[in-house]
Amino acid sequence: MDLQPLYDSVLIGDAKTTRSIVEQALAEGVGPQQLLDDYMIPAMDEVGRRFEANEYFVPELLISARAMKGALEILRPLLADSGSQTIGRVIVGTVRGDLHDIGKNLVAAMLEGGGFEVVDLGVDVPPEKFIESIGETNADIIAMSALLTTTMPGMKTTIEALESAGIRNNVKVIIGGAPVTQRYADEIGADGFSDNASAAVRLCRDLVNA
Amino acid sequence: MNGRERFFAHLRGEAVDHLPCLPITMQFAADLIGVPYKEYATDYRALVRGQIAVAETFGLDYVNTMSDPACEAADCGAKITFHPDQPPAVNESESLLMDKETLVHLKQPDPSSTERMSNRLKALSFYKEQVGGQLMIEGWIEGPLAEAADLRGINRVMLDFLDDPSFVRDLFEFVLEMELRFAKAQVDSGAEQIGIGDAAASLVGPKIYKEFVWPYQKRMVDALHEMGVSVRLHICGNTSKILEGMGKLGCDIVELDSLVSMADARETMGAEQILLGNIDPVRVVRNTNPDTVREALEESHREAGHRYMVGAGCEVPRDTPKENMQAIVDYARQHSPDRWEESR
Repeated sequence: MDLQPLYDSVLIGDAKTTRSIVEQALAEGVGPQQLLDDYMIPAMDEVGRRFEANEYFVPELLISARAMKGALEILRPLLADSGSQTIGRVIVGTVRGDLHDIGKNLVAAMLEGGGFEVVDLGVDVPPEKFIESIGETNADIIAMSALLTTTMPGMKTTIEALESAGIRNNVKVIIGGAPVTQRYADEIGADGFSDNASAAVRLCRDLVNA
Repeated sequence: MNGRERFFAHLRGEAVDHLPCLPITMQFAADLIGVPYKEYATDYRALVRGQIAVAETFGLDYVNTMSDPACEAADCGAKITFHPDQPPAVNESESLLMDKETLVHLKQPDPSSTERMSNRLKALSFYKEQVGGQLMIEGWIEGPLAEAADLRGINRVMLDFLDDPSFVRDLFEFVLEMELRFAKAQVDSGAEQIGIGDAAASLVGPKIYKEFVWPYQKRMVDALHEMGVSVRLHICGNTSKILEGMGKLGCDIVELDSLVSMADARETMGAEQILLGNIDPVRVVRNTNPDTVREALEESHREAGHRYMVGAGCEVPRDTPKENMQAIVDYARQHSPDRWEESR
């Protein structure tokens, strides 16, 4: 069957069509990994490219991410049954005291679209919750967001807590958000910084492949 | 020439002694007078004291009423988290309009009697008593998309544009009516200019901006002008792709964030639009030194030309060194509108 429409439906964010093509393709014997790797992830990569190029904006990105997520709900159990592994698991969250979530949500959506398994801890996440989540999920990466200069130090505190817990070397840590800079990432010993959702996916790919 | 005279003279295109200076301060103002931010945001006496302290300590030309975006939403009945020393925030997981049906039954709040809006009105009357005729008194309302996001949840409203355009329009109609009532009450209480904060508009592209947001911003600006006040438009974030529309709203002042090129804005909006900004609030204002602040403002001023007012791209953050804040004001004091070359 021609699966180009699957790529197209993710790209334009048509959740209903995306699901029905996925269901039909599976019924016809196409493997879930192939649907994901050959059509859906490339479509989300194109969404990311358009977002970075100022051709797509937040609404378009979110609606494509929703189409992707809907299809992933069908594919995930099948992928798990077939023993295939995600390329990596990322814990995302906005740090303690900070309630801003749209940037964090964009990063989570793009990571999921990029083939990562995402554990979203939400907003106002204290260091101990990040640590607890590592224990539960065995994640490869922690991605922290802060939108305020006053909450940004929560990133440093979390990294220090990882060190005290003796698990700093088990995970990579990346950070982002309006006041955050590469310099700040270097200062607090984070493994990476990104100022947009699409580049965050590339950063995570580099980190899990390193 | 006092601050108010300077501001309005420059607005009218008349000669001024130097550039008007209107950076936004909120947490910085609360810290300056040593009150917890919750008090600043909820008690007009603290707000007024903080704003006047900033204006007098550093030499700003105005005072305003802005404290957080949750004011109107709170008075509609939205669940707001009041942090002790941070801006009150809308709790998106429990948005007032989580269920779209709620909009049909939502009542317009009466600014004179609801808690948070009436507090802002009291601030304006108090300003009039304290600094009327000396400093420009600015009121503040949320723009259509910013307020829609506060009521519905920003993540939800972004999808609504594509899922349910007619709901978005109904919501914008509600917001427009509410904000204009609030604005009218502010003008009656002494506001001489109204600022419109519509930050969320920088998250949408030109198509959605033009189709949904712009028509409501335009109606808002026109209605404010009919009330006899000038209008400052504040959309922080990257507005590069919607500059053209912003320039066609007819606002007296367009404030730009540091992510936008001042030169592009000037080219797009024409020679007469007053532009305000646009130095990086964190990377320059908070994190560098007076020399760097001065150089950054000089660049903004040069690119903007003589129809320019001094300010940062967005709020001057808490923890900004006082000498950097002073450098912003000093730039204004040391430069006339048509002189951005070195004049120290």
